[in-house]
Amino acid sequence: MPTVVLMDASLSMTRPVSQDSSEEFQRKNLAVHGLNMLFEHMASNYRLEFTALMAFSSLWELVVPFTRDYNALQDALSNLEDYDKTCVESALNGVSNVVQQEWGSACPCQVVLVTDGSLGIGKGSLRHSLQSLRHRGDDKKFPLPFPFPTKMYIMCVANTEELQMTGALDKWEELLCLGGGDGQVFTVEGPLCMQGVQAMFGRLIDRAYCPFHAVLHCGNLSADVQVFPRPEPVVVDEEVEPLARTVNPDLEIVGFIEIADISSPPVISRHLVLPIAVNKDVDDVGTGGADEPEEEVSASQMAGKSPNFCVLLHGSLKVEGMVALVQLGPEWFGMLYSQADSKKKSNLMMSLFEPSTEPLPWLGKISHLGPISEAAENPYGEDDSKSPFPVQPPVKRSYAQNVTVWIKASGLQTDVQKILRNARKLPDKTQTFYKELNRLRKAALAFGFWDLLKGVAELLERECTLLPDSAHPDAAFQLSHAAQQLKLASTGDSQYAAFEHNIVPMHTDFSS
Amino acid sequence: MKMFSVAHKTVFVVDHCPYMAESSRQQVECDVLTKSRGQGVIPLAPVSKSLWTCAVECSMEYCRILYDIYPLDKLINYIVSDSEFHLLNSWKRDCQSTHELMSSLAAVGPPNPCEDPECCSILHGLVAAVESLCKITELQHEKRIALMDMAERVANRGRIICLTNAKSDTHVRMLEDCIQETILEQNKLAAGSDRLMAIQQCELVLIHIYPQGDDTLVSDRPKKEVSPLLTSEVHSVRAGRHLATKLNILVQQHFDLASTTITNIPMKEEQHANTSANYDVELLHHKDAHMEFIKSGDLHMAGTSTRENGLKETVTLKWCTPRTISIELHYCTGAYRISPTDVNSRPSSCLTNFLLNGRSVLLEQPRKSGSKIISHMLSSHGGEIFLHVLNSNRSTLEDPPSISEGCGGRVTDYRITDFGEFMKENRLTPVSEASHHPAGKLPAERAKAQLERHTRYWPMIISQTTIFNMQAVVPLASLIVKEALTEDDVLTCQKTVYNLVDMERKNDPLPISTVGSRGKGPKRDEQYRIMWNELETLVKTHAGATDRHQRVLDCIIACRSKPPEEEERKKRGRKREDREDRADKNGGKDVEDKSWKDAERRVVDMAKSVPDKEDQESEVIKDSPDSPEPLIKKPRLATDEVESPEGAKGPISLLSLWTNRITAKSRKRREFIGRARSVNSKFELYQHLKDENGMDVHENGKASR
Repeated sequence: MPTVVLMDASLSMTRPVSQDSSEEFQRKNLAVHGLNMLFEHMASNYRLEFTALMAFSSLWELVVPFTRDYNALQDALSNLEDYDKTCVESALNGVSNVVQQEWGSACPCQVVLVTDGSLGIGKGSLRHSLQSLRHRGDDKKFPLPFPFPTKMYIMCVANTEELQMTGALDKWEELLCLGGGDGQVFTVEGPLCMQGVQAMFGRLIDRAYCPFHAVLHCGNLSADVQVFPRPEPVVVDEEVEPLARTVNPDLEIVGFIEIADISSPPVISRHLVLPIAVNKDVDDVGTGGADEPEEEVSASQMAGKSPNFCVLLHGSLKVEGMVALVQLGPEWFGMLYSQADSKKKSNLMMSLFEPSTEPLPWLGKISHLGPISEAAENPYGEDDSKSPFPVQPPVKRSYAQNVTVWIKASGLQTDVQKILRNARKLPDKTQTFYKELNRLRKAALAFGFWDLLKGVAELLERECTLLPDSAHPDAAFQLSHAAQQLKLASTGDSQYAAFEHNIVPMHTDFSS
Repeated sequence: MKMFSVAHKTVFVVDHCPYMAESSRQQVECDVLTKSRGQGVIPLAPVSKSLWTCAVECSMEYCRILYDIYPLDKLINYIVSDSEFHLLNSWKRDCQSTHELMSSLAAVGPPNPCEDPECCSILHGLVAAVESLCKITELQHEKRIALMDMAERVANRGRIICLTNAKSDTHVRMLEDCIQETILEQNKLAAGSDRLMAIQQCELVLIHIYPQGDDTLVSDRPKKEVSPLLTSEVHSVRAGRHLATKLNILVQQHFDLASTTITNIPMKEEQHANTSANYDVELLHHKDAHMEFIKSGDLHMAGTSTRENGLKETVTLKWCTPRTISIELHYCTGAYRISPTDVNSRPSSCLTNFLLNGRSVLLEQPRKSGSKIISHMLSSHGGEIFLHVLNSNRSTLEDPPSISEGCGGRVTDYRITDFGEFMKENRLTPVSEASHHPAGKLPAERAKAQLERHTRYWPMIISQTTIFNMQAVVPLASLIVKEALTEDDVLTCQKTVYNLVDMERKNDPLPISTVGSRGKGPKRDEQYRIMWNELETLVKTHAGATDRHQRVLDCIIACRSKPPEEEERKKRGRKREDREDRADKNGGKDVEDKSWKDAERRVVDMAKSVPDKEDQESEVIKDSPDSPEPLIKKPRLATDEVESPEGAKGPISLLSLWTNRITAKSRKRREFIGRARSVNSKFELYQHLKDENGMDVHENGKASR
């Protein structure tokens, strides 16, 4: 989930923080300090996050485009200049553009807006924007909510009470609500000082940037992993199940499925599963290498050398072309698979399905997938030539069952012509003739379209008179028999007009 | 759409009164005469559908689309009204199909024009519709049970679509009032019943049908609120084509559908099989499949066109002829069932049959300029066609660190092939709900239990194991993980053990990893001890399961060569002796769950000490991509034709002989752990090292580089 840091570069940010200490800080310094703290945290714990830095006043500027280079972000932060007044609305328009250009409109995004909490003045101020919200044309819509799912964190480098007094806090809360309500307004608790700002950014980190650690289990094999980006809570149905579901930190593999069988399933999010070295307390007994020359070996090198289940799993999934079905919580599943970024690089990836008992109709209920060893015979066949998937639905869809639709005249004409075409090839086409005839009969009965039955009966009788002399004598018998049956059906007489009843070919002994 | 929105329950009320037998006056020519046969034949007079036929076929089309796209839990109850009401089906899931409805409709037949119009009324049906909406559906029942005390979260809303021929606007108002009253009455009744639910919201869609050429007596009216419980809208539509269009628009509105037209579908001409022309096919599906276009405001850019009626829009996507049938996992953000708008037209059925035969088609978003973007894919699964939405934006996960750079990434002898076999054995298969005992464990839980059994002892790398590199052990290893053994299974296991004893007697070499070791590796008898220990560890983890499992363990303990205990002890330091005692206790009769885990860990730790031997190897295969196949193929030794792995390397060189001697001389303190790696490593580590020691060894191994 990419992050946009939106930094207020207006003059009000340069206001000094009245402090007893000898050094005179500006609010901007505090903000930069807080952001540096965030960037340092991300560099070491959330390294794969793409972050962009934008500065705004009455105009906005993309200072650093989306990057994972946190040094570049910090450098840019220290070189920010001061501009004129705060104008949040245009800055948010800027965020919307920048994000959509880079990630499209489906990718969820986090916005960290850093400001001193002042709303700006006059036209373009937040107060003005919010007031004029309802009197806008389609061309001047307020940028919130963004088209992409957003989490907005508003970092006010200002004291809570101060913001409450001026009424600014309410406006920021209102802005948050406009954005969809996902996020938080952070303020400095207590006096405005370095520690207060640190604590505020600490809360942001805890809320939005702490890595998701989990243990991947496959029976007794397991590995400690980081799941990136962190899986977000999911609400299934706000009315029936309003509580958000969260991914369990114990990811349990249920079993394995061929890629062809799972066949490009829809997923709600994708995550890298990165094995991590957990520092277990090493109980040094001392019998080890007292005699060996001790050298400093980097922890990562160590970790690279000890076997890890993730690597084994990834390798086999890749070689076999399979995915592992993994349980994320009650009635919530996902899949693990090898994802190749390029020829050389590939990775263990986890995709989350919609929380549901049956997220993929072609697998059936996931809780009803069992081990193949329990089946009477291997459902995959001895040579892997078969597969128990996809699961067939009990009823065929309309396009798979030759339904009759006569809404367009052409549909009806085609069906009648089909019967006539076969009628002319009797007795060779007796089976097809009756099949088509019965199909038409059924539909006509269901639609209460008795006139059609009479009409087709007449057509068949006419065909009978038009038969050439060379025609097989059976043709005439079958045609008049069919015509008579249709006429009987068109009376609605329950004996002849039953839906499940079929007209059967007349038994003649010419065929013998 | 919420689970229990008004879309959960739809009641069709279709007028079956005598005036519905009137002709729609839209004529269909069904006798199309070809030129050659036209002479002297009087063509059949065109037929025309009655208002009833029009109403029925259009409502069935509505149902067809609905059932195609929502086969579950968007329910229809079909009611026909004349002098009384006729319920053609119920809310039950197995009553939800067009076939079921067609069959019931045939039984009802067209309205009888001779019936007394005074006795007939649509009101009978509307009252029945309200009663029906109060009836609880299977899904509502299930959810209420599941939610227990939160049962009130399950809402009861519904929609009534009434197809009738109304007399006037006043008549319509009378019908609305009647429904409103009935809802209030029924809600009172429902309050006192378990199987009924009060209606919280009801949407009435009244469609007035009149013959072509007549003037309508009823005016259109957009949705308005009759009461907090009831909204009502009126559509006045001419029978025939207009009615079909209207219901098509309504089904899209009611169920959040949208339309996509697949364009440029190449199709062979019926007449000229060697030429092909391009066709378009329109599909309906959930509108979320267009989410990306809607959000980005690209809807018009993406080739949207507005139809003549100004209400219906369709997004055009271009067919990309599939080149290869490659099995690929696309990043797909949604999959939505489709229904062709014109299901039995030739282009539609060509497309659907192509897909039903198992081919997938990628769809391209037409753009005025720039590169082509594949945004969707059509694919069938189990006879159902889905429109998959593919992600066409930049990925936020691009350029991740390769797995070979992370933890365990530098290890090169993972048992990739063996784990592949393991995965195949642990594939899943659907278990029918009928065959599942409600009291028993769910199949998925049994699958997990099987994984647990199969992984009790499962070394991850080749150099950690001896037994899994031996063909001779396979029969036992594959049987012992079973939940229950047959007598035959026990026999096979015992045979395997005897076979191993035989191998040991014949002094057959074992595929003990000698990778990077200086010298020949452990001596033969020590190799066998390592092998027996490992086998015992494997079987011990299962011995507690059943008596038969225990018998296999007993057999191993009885048959294996006993280590010369006394001699061994002398070699060990005092600390280890203590530990050994503990281990011995653990290995006692009553094997608990924990003890096998310890046992396994000991084996694993033993192997953890090995990596430094491979240092030389991994130097060579530096930066191998993701866990490649091991450099040295695992020697699969058949029992009868045994080849020594060392032997394969040729005779021992003078240099190595000398080096061995020197190393042997220079290392006299046998308890020294670093030394343990060289010759007798496996034996010693396995017997006595705990995790910590293993780690130490590991570390030192690194340090020595």
